[in-house]
Amino acid sequence: MRVALAEDGALFREGLQMLLEAAGHEIVGSVADGDAIVRLLATEPVDVAILDIRMPPEPDGGLTAAERLRALHPDIGLLFLSHYAESHYLMRILGIGTERVGYRLKEKVGSVDVLSDTLERIEGGEIVIEPVLAKRLVEKPQGDKKGLISALSEREIDVLRLMAEGRSNNGIAGQLFVTPKAVEKHIANIFDKLGLQADTAAHHRRVLAVLTYLRSQREDG
Amino acid sequence: MTPDSLPAVLSGGDGAERSSTVGVGADDPWHQRMRLERELHDGPALRLSALALRLGLMSHRCEDPALAEGIAGVQDELHAVLEELRNLAGKLYPPILDEAGLGPALRQVAEHTDAPIAIVDNSERFGPALEGATYFAVAECLAALPVGAPAVEVAISREGDELVLAVTGLEPGATGRLQETARSLGGRADVGPSGSVTARIPCA
Repeated sequence: MRVALAEDGALFREGLQMLLEAAGHEIVGSVADGDAIVRLLATEPVDVAILDIRMPPEPDGGLTAAERLRALHPDIGLLFLSHYAESHYLMRILGIGTERVGYRLKEKVGSVDVLSDTLERIEGGEIVIEPVLAKRLVEKPQGDKKGLISALSEREIDVLRLMAEGRSNNGIAGQLFVTPKAVEKHIANIFDKLGLQADTAAHHRRVLAVLTYLRSQREDG
Repeated sequence: MTPDSLPAVLSGGDGAERSSTVGVGADDPWHQRMRLERELHDGPALRLSALALRLGLMSHRCEDPALAEGIAGVQDELHAVLEELRNLAGKLYPPILDEAGLGPALRQVAEHTDAPIAIVDNSERFGPALEGATYFAVAECLAALPVGAPAVEVAISREGDELVLAVTGLEPGATGRLQETARSLGGRADVGPSGSVTARIPCA
């Protein structure tokens, strides 16, 4: 896969470069700020751009660069790396795009398999969300959702957690060692119990419905 | 680490390429806290995250499955250390408070707390000192909520030149902490029935 990366910490940038190369990806460029990645990608096509959230231009150059990249090159996948996995930043990321985006903790992409899996899912159109954050969203939904979540079976909560990570039906099936058909059935039950409209056609819209549900409060919609 | 690399860590470490906008010429305690959070983020946290990547590379190159498993265990430990650093940074000055203000920062506290907590705000900003003092006072009250506590609501708004903080559902003992903070900021707080407090604090 062709990737470019923007990260202002030299040590981390070099480490990521080495890991990407070991995973067999082609790095077309590696820069230290948001403006530089926008300039670089004006001439170099890539599959995925990897962006540190908190880099120049301050305070969050990764997000502002991503907005410009999404507008200029809508097909480029965006992987955001951060020291923090918080739903505030997730919502800002989903405001930039709901397809071909990922949000992961910096220390959690430290293996060739995880890094490649993350990049491939993004290139494939999925939303990839740090599992720690997805778990927190499911276990600690905002507002008065707790009662409804507790109506789910243990297996349905597993499926909901993997959906909140942005995984596809096949991805969820692979993680839980069940058939995609069984996953579909669980998802239908979950949507029914939570009172959500099931849009079975579009994967990213379904993930978005789940995330919005878990995150939304009575007061701020 | 070589001795001559130490000053680089203290001055922002690996992230020293950035031009920090935080706290230029500002020496009040809240700006100092922001700078310390930034140093943790740019120094040790980034260094540890880079270590996780280096270990991943070693694991990729080694052919001994037992060793690879051991390396994965060390990576998990690094994640645990970074979680502790994130907690510590949150006690100094959560970056979201600087970036997005009281509402989003307290909503983050709510997400990390077991008790049901609703935050109502309209994205008003009040400056680092007022936001810092109010945030830590409210966060402390929320942290003191017992398991199974009833729902708490925290509403933040601006009325004229006052920050109005209305909290309901607190433990009776926790209301004093908010009164104290309001007074220390030149404001006042009225305690109502069943753990409710309304604090009015002057803001420029």
